[in-house]
Amino acid sequence: MSRAKLEQHPATGTTLVVLVGLSIAFLLFMAFLNVVKNGDILSEANLLYAALVFYAGAGALYLGFGVTGTGSYVRFASLATWAGLVANTGAVAHRWYEAGHPPFASLYEMLLSFVWTLAALTLIAEKRYGVKVIGTVTMPVAIVGVVLMQLLRSEVRPLVPALQSTWLHVHVTLAMLAYAACALSFALALMFLIQDRMKTETFLAATSVFTMGIYAAILSRFERWGGLNVVAWDAVNKSEVFISRGVRVFVTIPDLGWLMLLVFAAVAAPLVLYILSQVKQNELFLSLANRAVFISILLQALALLFFQLRTRDGLYPSLDVEGLYPTSLAASPFILSALVGAIFANLLYLLLLWRRQDLERLLPDREVLDRITYKTIGVAFPLLTLMIAAGAYWANRAWGSYWNWDPKETWAAITWLVYAGYLHMRITRGWRGRRAAYFAILGFAVVMFTFFGVTYLLPGLHSYA
Amino acid sequence: MALTLRSLARQTWQTFGSIKTGVVLIILVVIFSAAGTVILQRPMTDPQDMERAYSPAMLRLLDATGLTDVFHAPWFVALLILVSLSIIAASVERFPNAWRHFARPYKSPDEVFRRVLPTQAQIAIQNDEQALSAAERALARSGFKAEHIVRTESFSLFSERHLISEMAVYIVHVSLLLIFLGGIVDALWGWRGSVTLNPGMSSNHVELRNGATRTLPFSIRCDSTGEDTYTDGTPKRYWSKLAVVDKGREISHKEIVVNQPLVHRGVRFYQASYGRTGKLATLTVNAIPTQGGESQEISLAMNQVIALSGDTSVQLVEFIPDFVVQDGRVYARSNDVVNPAVHLIVTSKKSNASVNYWLPEIPGIAENALSPYTFEPKSLKTEVFTGLEVSHEPGQWSVWAGVVLMAIGLTFVFYVVHARIWVVPVEASNGSRALWIGGSANRNRDAFEEAFIKLVEAIQEELKTPSAEAQTPAASIAGS
Repeated sequence: MSRAKLEQHPATGTTLVVLVGLSIAFLLFMAFLNVVKNGDILSEANLLYAALVFYAGAGALYLGFGVTGTGSYVRFASLATWAGLVANTGAVAHRWYEAGHPPFASLYEMLLSFVWTLAALTLIAEKRYGVKVIGTVTMPVAIVGVVLMQLLRSEVRPLVPALQSTWLHVHVTLAMLAYAACALSFALALMFLIQDRMKTETFLAATSVFTMGIYAAILSRFERWGGLNVVAWDAVNKSEVFISRGVRVFVTIPDLGWLMLLVFAAVAAPLVLYILSQVKQNELFLSLANRAVFISILLQALALLFFQLRTRDGLYPSLDVEGLYPTSLAASPFILSALVGAIFANLLYLLLLWRRQDLERLLPDREVLDRITYKTIGVAFPLLTLMIAAGAYWANRAWGSYWNWDPKETWAAITWLVYAGYLHMRITRGWRGRRAAYFAILGFAVVMFTFFGVTYLLPGLHSYA
Repeated sequence: MALTLRSLARQTWQTFGSIKTGVVLIILVVIFSAAGTVILQRPMTDPQDMERAYSPAMLRLLDATGLTDVFHAPWFVALLILVSLSIIAASVERFPNAWRHFARPYKSPDEVFRRVLPTQAQIAIQNDEQALSAAERALARSGFKAEHIVRTESFSLFSERHLISEMAVYIVHVSLLLIFLGGIVDALWGWRGSVTLNPGMSSNHVELRNGATRTLPFSIRCDSTGEDTYTDGTPKRYWSKLAVVDKGREISHKEIVVNQPLVHRGVRFYQASYGRTGKLATLTVNAIPTQGGESQEISLAMNQVIALSGDTSVQLVEFIPDFVVQDGRVYARSNDVVNPAVHLIVTSKKSNASVNYWLPEIPGIAENALSPYTFEPKSLKTEVFTGLEVSHEPGQWSVWAGVVLMAIGLTFVFYVVHARIWVVPVEASNGSRALWIGGSANRNRDAFEEAFIKLVEAIQEELKTPSAEAQTPAASIAGS
């Protein structure tokens, strides 16, 4: 019996646990030395650093679990997540105490809360519903969040008058919870599709389309002569550079546009090969497509690296104003998270490609997943409703009108309508299974557009978030 | 003819009420709202920006179709009205059935119902009455209050919980209609505009968004206004002390800040902007006679003449908030008080001579040396203004009522389950007596099924307790 088990998992898993444990200990020890020198142990930066170290450890272990399916990894991974969550809670509390208001006022504070919510949800999903692989997805996101925070302006900034309202905090808290629930329903719907025996190559096509969408959005800032427009960044003040109130300076980084175009072609290749395989009924194209995914991941990583290198130093001209301006990764959090998100999605696809059987064994049944997806949306929908209501009430007090049809508001309403459509189809038409899962995925796509797309692509009043 | 007309109306009504129409309408709303966020909208964009973004032909087309102001276009309003009609039709179509369910609960299940109900169980029993009272006790312990259903030939139990859940969907639909109603009322009778006031001024004219002016039946007076800043200079608080004046009588007053408006008779005043007009309020200077003597402190307002002695007087004639000198003349660069200059004229009655005195002394223009007095600036107060947004939204109460109702309705929809339990003594297939237990829930059925199994077990427990010799046959549970 144990022999059969051993054969199933040749590695017992101690190696990775020990390695990760040692790295965590080493990093914390180094940090401790540093702290002793400076004297301040429980500062926010230190807590955040500890959280990062623990989350990174947890992420490595969860990934190890996702790839090998070794059960003991999860135990240590959730232990590390707990430790990270404790440190993260400390950082949130510290921030709240320092600032005197809940940490939702700046991008930095929102990320702080977001990462906390994500870690907490991971543990809930794992303990309560037994969805163990969820950490494979959420922990890397948490790590990116914490790393991104290091780039952002972190000192407590006083609130401008419009933001001094309890209703704002209610609004943002509800938004965070609602979006987290939507994200969870999305992940569950994907898992459902895996358990529903959806073909692996369909996931390939979907991944390719998703990645193409991301690069198309980035290329909307493509300039002539192959430049890419990004927001200028004042490294000293850690803030964006403004021409006038609310109008940011964009700088053009030469050649980066061409690179993005090249990567766009690379991420489109798997889709083209997939279509070829469907039309010609030839399996060969599929294996080529899988290889193309691998190549596209390398190219995407390269694009990310170049993006980082080009933004790190150097001054770039702007089309709108004279002079040269610096920029930084922090100035383009949306591009950065889009690039990282795309790589991540492709890696997940590879995970599915190589470890599908293990995943199917680890995930709950399809009926269970279908039901939890619905229940999650049953939580998300009232939260979305209350979020919109709280936002409207706040707008009514701050601007004198509860509904302005500004893009963010409109898209929040669209999100609400999409989920309302889902609920009607499910309740009155009895939509179950795959169609419901597609609907849940569509809903989350709209949420992502509302959260990122509207801020990045459309103008509006919601300049704070 | 009348009949066909009626059937046509009936058909239209049914079409409106169908879920398909509802979904198509929702999709249309989604598409057009999305278009309204992608295409630049007139109310929020400068006309020049519009012209820069689109070609003239394109702009004409967009304007003609209303796509440059989607959310106020008649066809969009019509679409929202259609959505409302669809919700009404759908609710009215389905309501009678739900109401029957609600008002006349199905209490004693017949044989067919007992056969097809998915969640049910049967327990072998000795005695009908004993079994029913055991079941009643078990139900009471799980929070179900049982009702005795007495028919001519049968005696059974019925129990239900959270009947209101059947009405939840209608509560949500009504709340949505309330919100729409509020929106329509505001679109028809609401207005928005602005008033700009200097301290001490009052006004009853509101400049509306569309350029027209609206006269209020009362006036609003600004007593003072100002800004508080953080130590680093970023604004912390803008405030204005306002008073409502009706027929010369002060009715109420309030200090408003951003997020805390003043409301009077449905008209709301918001702190929207605050700034300096670039004009002088008062200037305080020390006047020192050049020939020696007592210096005196005087306060000057614009164009005000103040006597310094029997012979000499001074007048403040010019205030430049941000001055620059070019070609021997003084110009204002901006209205921000960053580099102020004042122009005083010192006049002597006897010699009938006047001297141009500048603070600070501007070479080539000022004749400060000729003045019988020198002036030392003490303080400078510039005029401020407060910009108030004014709005009247009579429909908003309907909107808030709708929001609260929707929150309640959604809670019922998702978290409150209407559960029903029937307990009927029946004759089992082998001729002995049995207790048939059936259950149904309108949502969250898997959780209900678990609770149902527990309930059946509890009834079996109860059956065991009073008569120990009674056998405990295994329950056969269907549908789990």
